[in-house]
Amino acid sequence: MSASGAVTVQGVKRRLGHGFLRAYAVLIFAFLLLPIALIIPMSFSNQRYLTFPPPGWTLHWYQSVIDQPRWLVAMMNSFIIGVPTALLSVLFGTLAALGMARGGFRRRKLLLMLVVAPMMLPHVIIAIGLYPTLVNMRLEGSFAAVIIGHTVIGIPLVFVTVTAALRSYPATLDLAARTLGAGIWRTFRRVTLPMIWMGMVSGGLLAFATSFDELMLALFLTGPGTETLPRLIWDQLSFALSPTLAAVATMILALSVLVQGVGVYLGSRRVVIRRTAT
Amino acid sequence: MVAPPVAFLGVFFLFPLLRVIYSSVAQPSWTLGNYAKVVDESFYLRSFWYTIEIAASVTVLCLIIAYPLSYTVASSRGRAQKLMWILVLVPLWTSVVIRSYAWLILFQREGPVNAILLALGWISEPIKILQTSAAVEIGMVHILLPFMVLPLVTAMVKVDVTLLRAARVLGAPPFKVFWRIYVRLTLPGAAAGCALVFITSLGFFITPSLLGGARQTMAAMMIEQAVSVFLNWPLASALSTVLLAITVTLYLVCARLTGDEAGMVAK
Repeated sequence: MSASGAVTVQGVKRRLGHGFLRAYAVLIFAFLLLPIALIIPMSFSNQRYLTFPPPGWTLHWYQSVIDQPRWLVAMMNSFIIGVPTALLSVLFGTLAALGMARGGFRRRKLLLMLVVAPMMLPHVIIAIGLYPTLVNMRLEGSFAAVIIGHTVIGIPLVFVTVTAALRSYPATLDLAARTLGAGIWRTFRRVTLPMIWMGMVSGGLLAFATSFDELMLALFLTGPGTETLPRLIWDQLSFALSPTLAAVATMILALSVLVQGVGVYLGSRRVVIRRTAT
Repeated sequence: MVAPPVAFLGVFFLFPLLRVIYSSVAQPSWTLGNYAKVVDESFYLRSFWYTIEIAASVTVLCLIIAYPLSYTVASSRGRAQKLMWILVLVPLWTSVVIRSYAWLILFQREGPVNAILLALGWISEPIKILQTSAAVEIGMVHILLPFMVLPLVTAMVKVDVTLLRAARVLGAPPFKVFWRIYVRLTLPGAAAGCALVFITSLGFFITPSLLGGARQTMAAMMIEQAVSVFLNWPLASALSTVLLAITVTLYLVCARLTGDEAGMVAK
């Protein structure tokens, strides 16, 4: 133990250090969040040109979003594409994760590379290759085309989350169920599935969110009737920086904060439940 | 069990990828002409080089900014830590197009950033921020920072504090403790974050398109232009093959350095 004087000096120094780090964190969080928050007041601005702070307020831009049915159509399209993408990604990603975690077979590394590679490669490369392939299959401009493209990048996301869930419990549990007489299907439904369920759900949400936000594949694979929301925003951006876009962005922002907030809330509740259970 | 996903990815991922490489040398006829074009026209090479440069500087910036932030998150407790986690994750919930659009507003000539700089008296008239590399870098750091923070915090939380205390007791000065122990122990997290940010940067399209100008053309933009403006698919295939080679090479280098091939991806 050092002398009490030294301790105080150290304490003061440490407190100063902490204060400095806290201030730094506040600064960086401001950098991360303020630009996003800025969009909200812009969407209520009564000025056609983006001036900040806005001189007056209006709901005009929200009205114009509602008046143009193409925004609603694009939003619908994003769901029509995002939901099947999530489901297919969960199906394929979970199968891949189960197969690779439990089955000890050769060329495992090669398969692993195949499954995770779509996550690492620039989407533009996938788009350049996928477009002619889908044209050959006469799928260009269809919902199926974008769903296929988005599922390619969705599978690794589910694969990663389900693999993590599988690692979180010992494989001997499955084995125990089997020795106690449960069939393969029953073992899966009663033991494996409950353990990896959260991994499947969060992977599926990730796949949906990725599809909902994806632009590059959408640029190549969507046609006049299948335009997604990011694609429509992108096309509008090249025309003008109208506050209509800020209104659309604010609505999407509200939606995603709501959805993710519910996710976090449910997630933390689960944690609490699990903690009190153990 | 792996057959369905492997078949799906084989048909819709691996085959298209091989097709890109194939058509880069087989179209319009068997030729290396597409690659000759890539090498001959300085625009393409410059753009590839620019892409690597931007990816590198964005990675370094992210690491420098994220390290103290991650330390703050990792060393706080309870509610504060949870709040900070959420604040790191919130930007990930918002679309990349929308976040880049926000910077587009901020960086306008009459925009808030210029207004603040004028009010502070740092500049005497509005400066051009858009269509510079700085704008592209700021926009990209804004999007990629959380991807650096996540693996760093994960590594920092695992650091055994008693090791640091032991070193202090044994007489090591604070800076030496930090450098020789803390930094070394968190190196895997930093390496994973750098690899993730760097590789992701190589494929960026939205942010450089919106915030940069013609001089800030990154690889993905150039490939997209080859198709949408020049309608030259063979050239786009050759450019894609080069970008693919760059990405795979850098991925293997990163995997070597982090000593872990797929775990890096799984965070």
